[in-house]
Amino acid sequence: MSAAALSDHIPDLNLITYYAEKQQSFLSRINPWTKFTYLILIVLLVTLTGNLIILALLYLFILSAYAAAHLPLRKLFGWYTMPVIFVISLVGLMAWSEPGNPIISFTVAGFPVMLTDNGILLVVTLLLKALIVVTFSLLFLMTTQYKYFSAIIYRVFPSPLDQIFLMTYRFLFLTLAMTGSILNAVRSRGGGLIHSILIQGRIFAEVFALVFIRSFERSERVHKAMIARGFSGSYGTVTTIPSLRITEYLFICVGVVVVLAVALTTPSFGG
Amino acid sequence: MTIIRTDPLSSPHCPHIDKDRELIHVDCASHVYPDGSVGIHEMCFYVQKNEIVALCGPNGSGKSTLIEHLNGLLTPSKGHIAVNGKLISSGDHTDLWREVGVVFQQSDDQLFAPTVLDDVMFGPLNMGMTHDAALNAATGALEAVGAADLVQKLPNYLSGGQKRLISIAGILAMKPLIIAMDEPTSDLDPVHSGMIEGLIRELKQHYGISVVLATHDLDLAARVADRVCLVKKGSVFAEGTPAEIFYDEELLFETGLLPPQIVNVYRAYCQMQGVPADQHPINIEEMMAAIRGK
Repeated sequence: MSAAALSDHIPDLNLITYYAEKQQSFLSRINPWTKFTYLILIVLLVTLTGNLIILALLYLFILSAYAAAHLPLRKLFGWYTMPVIFVISLVGLMAWSEPGNPIISFTVAGFPVMLTDNGILLVVTLLLKALIVVTFSLLFLMTTQYKYFSAIIYRVFPSPLDQIFLMTYRFLFLTLAMTGSILNAVRSRGGGLIHSILIQGRIFAEVFALVFIRSFERSERVHKAMIARGFSGSYGTVTTIPSLRITEYLFICVGVVVVLAVALTTPSFGG
Repeated sequence: MTIIRTDPLSSPHCPHIDKDRELIHVDCASHVYPDGSVGIHEMCFYVQKNEIVALCGPNGSGKSTLIEHLNGLLTPSKGHIAVNGKLISSGDHTDLWREVGVVFQQSDDQLFAPTVLDDVMFGPLNMGMTHDAALNAATGALEAVGAADLVQKLPNYLSGGQKRLISIAGILAMKPLIIAMDEPTSDLDPVHSGMIEGLIRELKQHYGISVVLATHDLDLAARVADRVCLVKKGSVFAEGTPAEIFYDEELLFETGLLPPQIVNVYRAYCQMQGVPADQHPINIEEMMAAIRGK
């Protein structure tokens, strides 16, 4: 797949799949179940702990693993744009109302506004939590062949979630390729060079509408092709995932113990 | 075989068919889409055992609609369709997909599963085969189309030609009696077109599968088809052997088609040599023999 990325700030599915299928990193040889279990453990860990040192160490560890696996770091930092915007939009306002030692304070329309040390800590903590999960998710996706990834989804998720996922993933590529073609057609006729926000906005609204309509038509054709082969409402993947080795069981146990230890030492969870 | 020529708007008359060899009989079937457009109109069409039939006609003539009827994706609003002796009438829910496989024009619409193997096993598993039987059927089909090495690939990483081969394997794994292909060589490079052409012949010769081709590629139809049906305004307008059909310029013009290149080249050669174009070669070998004869 050689389609260009839509943006440097949106995770590029083609590139992610390319690395996953290339299977050149040492992390690619780790059992998919181990990586999936660790993803769950990491989500649990960042949910349980608010300790900035633990979060910072975990982030650095995952980032090091990402770099050691020869995955593209510059791309990763570009892809951080979306989670960063997401976190800032969620806690950006909350940070100004956190009690603590004031760092900046001013008045807006007669109301006092104050940024405290705790407000900054909240933003940093949540940013770290988001980046840890995003980085590890990408690490998992970029080192796990899609056939194993889809097999995990098929076995773990209940129906119809697994069906939705299995059908969505392949067509995400096709929809992205279609969007890329339409955008190229727009740019090839100077569409991308128009400086008026109004005209630009209208063009992209039209592109969005066109992608939606074409995707709808494609879904009808796909459904027809599935019916033509006897589709009766559900399908699965036949890929089998290799069994875990003893060392991998031990590795998972270590992860579970760490998460339990963090949970037990966290005040709100009984520590 | 002689050309049967009909007026699409007159009363239909189905040709006499050898019942022992009959696999599909479309008996004066009509289909009107919900928006009122006519898909097929009193269509009479048949397919016999071990036969390759080409449906040739301009865009919107009803070829694809007919193919969707053969598989049960559409049922006729009027008339009947019999497949392997089983009669399908208006509104019937069918399991024709077990007997008639369809290879769609856009391979991307057909390949939806995570891997090639998942996709090829999809049909056999829907037929109720066990996992092992479906795996054997899929492996055999992939070997038959020469794509066994693609078994673990993601459909995203396949070329257009490979996708088409996998689409055919997905149907072949179901071991149907008939395979209908909608524009099987459109958008393919010459190498992959050649592979698909060889495969179409092989389906008939090695597997005894009858093939229905809906195609604009009259050269392909000339080379592989036993019988050509010209489709116009939702009906079979004329039928005959490729030689009979493709050397009737008036007939092709009436249908909105142009003769295949082989016909043009042969005619140009005869004109250049000042000899009558009295033979009807439809492939290279026949043309070489005709030229040597002159």
